[in-house]
Amino acid sequence: MVDTTLFAICTVIYLGVTMYLGYLGYRHTKGADDFMVGGRKVHPVVLGLSYGATFISTSAIVGFGGIAAQYGMGLIWLTVLNIGLGILIAFIVYGKKTREIGHKLGAVTFPDLMGKRFKSPFMQYATGILILLSMPLYCAAIIIGGAWFVSSTFQIDYTLALLGFALITAVYVVMGGLLAVMYTDALQGVLMLVGMTLLLVLTFASVGGVTGGFDNLAALSPQIPQNLQDGGLHSWTAMPDLGSNIWFTLVTTIVMGVGIGVLAQPQLSVRFLTAKDDRSLNRAIAVGGPFLLMMTGVAFTVGPLTNVWFWNNTGKIASVAAGGNADNIIPLYINSAMPELFVVMFLLVLLAAAMSTLSSIFHTLGTTAGYDLYKQITKKETPSKRITQIGMVIMILASVALALVMPSNIIARATAMFMGLCACAFLPTLTYGLYSKNPVALPAKLSLVVGAVSWFIWTVFVHTAEAKQLGICQALFGQVTLLGAPFNVIDPLIIGLPLATVALVIGILVTRTEDTSSDRTVGAD
Amino acid sequence: MGISDPWVILGYVLSIGLAIACIAYGFVKRNEGAEKNG
Repeated sequence: MVDTTLFAICTVIYLGVTMYLGYLGYRHTKGADDFMVGGRKVHPVVLGLSYGATFISTSAIVGFGGIAAQYGMGLIWLTVLNIGLGILIAFIVYGKKTREIGHKLGAVTFPDLMGKRFKSPFMQYATGILILLSMPLYCAAIIIGGAWFVSSTFQIDYTLALLGFALITAVYVVMGGLLAVMYTDALQGVLMLVGMTLLLVLTFASVGGVTGGFDNLAALSPQIPQNLQDGGLHSWTAMPDLGSNIWFTLVTTIVMGVGIGVLAQPQLSVRFLTAKDDRSLNRAIAVGGPFLLMMTGVAFTVGPLTNVWFWNNTGKIASVAAGGNADNIIPLYINSAMPELFVVMFLLVLLAAAMSTLSSIFHTLGTTAGYDLYKQITKKETPSKRITQIGMVIMILASVALALVMPSNIIARATAMFMGLCACAFLPTLTYGLYSKNPVALPAKLSLVVGAVSWFIWTVFVHTAEAKQLGICQALFGQVTLLGAPFNVIDPLIIGLPLATVALVIGILVTRTEDTSSDRTVGAD
Repeated sequence: MGISDPWVILGYVLSIGLAIACIAYGFVKRNEGAEKNG
């Protein structure tokens, strides 16, 4: 337990500054363009920090840090993809084109961009519906991550922590729109940067230094639980055996699922629409790359090292000390191993991480419901800011309700599922839309539908991790999955993304053939 | 450094290298793209 007075003072200061920045966002929001895309003139440093802080939630720190404690340092490959794909490729290959085309078309949301780029209402509402169906799952996972740490640290009621956390974030998002979100993101990003740097330093100090810590971790290999050893993991400082069940989970679900999925996430893509010009995006890259290194790189290094601390101090490895709940490893480690002042600070870091991601998700959900779907249903040209705010409130309530009923040990899994679906449904389509001179709707529709459906089928009927929890395959066919190893450990992304790409190519070929035929017919006439 | 697996070492090298590449890219291109699109 930490000193509640100290925590209360720090939290009041933090929330006070957050609310003030939210108020600034509210004051600077004059019209719908400000509310939806920050007036398209956001400062590069704010853009870089906001992108990074939105990218990194409690899922990355608590959820994936806990997974790293179980699966070891191989998770560092997710950091490679986070920076390489999530920043460099995302900004240079996707960001600049998204900004350029988005500005030209006047797009204000991700579904709006899809609809306008392909001149297809279907693309707008299909993208919107997919977001509204899948994003609350991710949103709930983030709420759960934030609420878990607050309730476990201060021994307060979990439901109360969850509701309070969601309410505070909702207030400034609904009132101040994207400017409030990005201003607060920047503050939260700085806090996260300081906190994670201190966490790395304090962790190395507590486990015997850099080399000593990793040596101690390697020496703990015999303590790896038997089920993990049977699955192919023999050291926390090494990758699992190539082709083993844990290798497939680590590489296909965690590294590739999350790493690739980030490229087509609606709440991140909309950040590119806020940039004034390509120069802003160039400068934001210099902020985003190091930021992600210090977030996921630290989390995936500290996670495995918690085994050393727990072993030295309790005689148990991290997962055993945390009662088998991976999501509880990092919070327990912080509470047990760190100085009180840092526990308070780290709580604020986690709150900041959760709030920065949550605020963006709330904003994306709200604009999708209150702008994109409303626009398609009512056929009104531009829904008012008030309608968008009402959409936000409805989606926030739905996400909170989902968070209250979802199991607590699902943070990392829900994150991977959301990102995997985004990649399968949106990535090939978005790439085609951005890089084709005259994109047509048919290939995009085919790709979106095939990507989403194939992801869904593999998730429900083949991939054990989700199929077991959902129970649909069991109910219909009397077995957990329809296929056995190694298929049941291959992530749905690995199936859905290539199929969506093939569907896109087929659609393009069919469209070209039709065009050629009609040209010939016209020529013959 | 206490880590013997080359894949894990490569992961760390690439992570740090890519972060440095981001800084370098942002610095070198810090004034590009303003006139054309701004």
